[in-house]
Amino acid sequence: MIRYSLRRVVLLIITLWLLTLLLFSLNYWYPGNPLTNMSGITADNLIAYQQAELARGFDQGLLSQYLKFLQHLINGDWGISLVTEQPVFDEIKPLLGATLELGLLAMALALFLGIPLGVYAAIQQRGLLDRIIMGLSLSAYSIPVFWLAQLFILLFALKLNWSPISGQINPLYAIDVQTGSVLVDILMSDSPYKTAAFYNALHHLWVPVVVLAIMPLTMLIRIMRNSVLDVLQQNYIKAARARGLNDRHIMFRHTLPNALQPIVRQLGLQFSVLMTNIIITEVIFNWPGVGSWLVKSIYERDFPVIQAGLLVLASLILLVNVFVDVIHAWRYPQIRKEIDAE
Amino acid sequence: MLQRIAIICSAAVLAACGPVSEHAQVEQDGLVYCSEGNPEGFNPQLGTSGTTVDATSAQIYDRLLDYDDKRQQFVPALASGWQALDDGTRYRFNLRKGVSFHNTDWFEPSRPFNADDVVFSFNRWLSPQHSYHHVNGGRYPFFRSSGLIRLIHSIERIDEYTVDITLNQPDSSFLANLATDFAVILSEEYAQQLLSSHQPEQIDRLPIGTGPFQFELFRKDFIIRYQRHEGYWREKPEIKRLVYVITPNANKRMLKLLTGECDVIPYPLVNELSKLDQNAEIEVGSSVSPNVSFWAFNTQRPPFDNVLVRRALAHAVNRPAIVQTIYDGNARLATGMLPETSWAYSDAEQTYPYNPGKARKLLAEAGYPNGFSMTIWAMPVQRAYNPNAHRMAELMQADLARIGVDATIVSYEWNTFRQRLVDGQHDSVLIGWVADNADPDNFFRPVLSCAAARSGNNRAMWCNPEFDKLLVAAISESDVDQRKHLYQFIEDMVKQQAPLVPIANSLRYQAHRSDIEGVELPPYGGINFRYARRVNDDSL
Repeated sequence: MIRYSLRRVVLLIITLWLLTLLLFSLNYWYPGNPLTNMSGITADNLIAYQQAELARGFDQGLLSQYLKFLQHLINGDWGISLVTEQPVFDEIKPLLGATLELGLLAMALALFLGIPLGVYAAIQQRGLLDRIIMGLSLSAYSIPVFWLAQLFILLFALKLNWSPISGQINPLYAIDVQTGSVLVDILMSDSPYKTAAFYNALHHLWVPVVVLAIMPLTMLIRIMRNSVLDVLQQNYIKAARARGLNDRHIMFRHTLPNALQPIVRQLGLQFSVLMTNIIITEVIFNWPGVGSWLVKSIYERDFPVIQAGLLVLASLILLVNVFVDVIHAWRYPQIRKEIDAE
Repeated sequence: MLQRIAIICSAAVLAACGPVSEHAQVEQDGLVYCSEGNPEGFNPQLGTSGTTVDATSAQIYDRLLDYDDKRQQFVPALASGWQALDDGTRYRFNLRKGVSFHNTDWFEPSRPFNADDVVFSFNRWLSPQHSYHHVNGGRYPFFRSSGLIRLIHSIERIDEYTVDITLNQPDSSFLANLATDFAVILSEEYAQQLLSSHQPEQIDRLPIGTGPFQFELFRKDFIIRYQRHEGYWREKPEIKRLVYVITPNANKRMLKLLTGECDVIPYPLVNELSKLDQNAEIEVGSSVSPNVSFWAFNTQRPPFDNVLVRRALAHAVNRPAIVQTIYDGNARLATGMLPETSWAYSDAEQTYPYNPGKARKLLAEAGYPNGFSMTIWAMPVQRAYNPNAHRMAELMQADLARIGVDATIVSYEWNTFRQRLVDGQHDSVLIGWVADNADPDNFFRPVLSCAAARSGNNRAMWCNPEFDKLLVAAISESDVDQRKHLYQFIEDMVKQQAPLVPIANSLRYQAHRSDIEGVELPPYGGINFRYARRVNDDSL
């Protein structure tokens, strides 16, 4: 187990290192001055520019420039935005909170609904409800997020008036941004209208969360169903039946824990899909997260911000994948054997 | 399983309703304005962008005097009174006492507003030696283009509540320029404090003023938050919180107005206006914005140097039909250079009616019985005064063909376009003008004077010394009735000489929920939320 975990961590470090190499080279590939692209300091501000030149090793060779770049990255000195002239690292923290809130809630919703629905479909195999669930999940899987989001806005916001079109919360509640996650911020705030604010935030949250959850949800239903069907064919289930255990006991003690294995393995992949969709969802719902920030920075050619957005999203996906892999291997020892046997 | 789904759904519905009374209270006390973009900064002195003015001037700051467009006169604001001295070359302003600046997390004023603040605010843009002149760019486009920088000789503190402004020559548009959204008063004490903490650039980012709302927070691309200035010297605003939600997409702005996420929106889509007007929850407000779109002839080039030709062309185009098509009914047919909102405006028709027969006769008189060929330059960008210059040019092309004039439409990229106009390469051009202040002078001097012809802003390249003399006479005169008379004379001259054909004064729109009252859209300058309030709905 330790050997396996170490291998994963080493792989993670190597991938992250390659990522920093890419980011570093981007500064030279973007149009304009590499130092400005990297630090956000323009030559207009001569004193700051000369200081940055020294700090970033621009009087020396490429190698020392790269080392200085790494050093700045690790110290959290990610330069300033070309547009707002604010430190990028400080800007990104609340945005990351908002993105994580949306992503985690969507993932939780997908798991919460997907696993029971998948199991249910498997038990009802070839029954009417099974066909309905599988049919719906297949059609939902084929709907692109940007279209689904617009459709939901049209239906729930404009026709039914069940939710607002965009934003995290009605801005009149004046909740100060601390973590960026609106629910946490409300709990931390000293607003006299905490309860009302919390309901208002949920009111804003549910549509983007549902939109984001649909794609992983449909995947989870299908994987869960197949996996349960697969496990039900195994000899140990037959043996359990032969021992006269009741269906409920067999399901919860024997089928489910084994059937969950492919779900855990899929989580990392599903998270990557979710992060791609979150960028689109954030833009459509004006969600103040890393995704919409990244898209806007591309329009504005704000290179320090583009880099920071890329770095954060890519490392987040990498970290989650490695984390899931390690959990998976820890929970299901047979996987480790498979890998070691290779 | 289905049961569980039912429970989840009902929870979601509950969440949607929430504690209604608390929510209503929060809504009652606040107002959400969905603005069209990020402001460049929080000091209107530094720019001319309408978005910045909307987000700052009337909310955060006050001016020495205001312009009341209903009574068409200047009213006291931070200056409680003023006199013109020394034949109008010196103005003495008596300042209001007991006006407090915003008290915020980043600045606690120790003294009320006084003469030092006025001197500081003016010298910032007036004097290049001033320690704040070069902070945050050091460009003051309004003060440069309106000529205030050249006009004002000096500003002097007489005592704590009196300042004198000395002018280089008398100018009756001076007060009008001081009443614009750009001539705001900043806090000198705050500036000194920032200077000693070595962060002067914060003065335009964390603004301090005397206005009805104080700045709280700005999150780029998301929101600007203001709260009521509790110590405001005039009647306090009724709303406690004001929030600008930045929504650049015009479609989304409309939708958010429909769902009630925005209370007020600027620039609704012109072609959706009639639909909005039918909605009982929405009201559409408009004002004639002080602009004029016109068709200018290059009077340096034959045959346009001949006044008969210019008059013929003015008769040849069907302006009412053009205005109907291009503006979809959202503009007024211009009756002269001055729009209806100007105090010097008169009902008299000062343009040429559509009359192709007369046009042909005039052309024949001028020696072109068979017409000629010419170019119409159509500007490549949309402006409030002309949403589609190219389409307008096409309509005119058809009209001109009826009198035998063969017109070709020319367009370049905007910067090239303007450069070539300055060089005078055009025969005629469709362009326009937006006034910066309420003074009628602003519609003539920057557009048609000889000085404007030299600097390239005079699109007709028209220089008439007699006309210039009239302009100078009009600004040196201080009696309003006399001035009004002079401007009618000037309008007449523009009609007689026809260096350009005024086409339309377009409207500026704003839409709001019907439970909001008192949102002002003054014809000159930015939106004002001081009198805004929410009318109590009986159903609550």
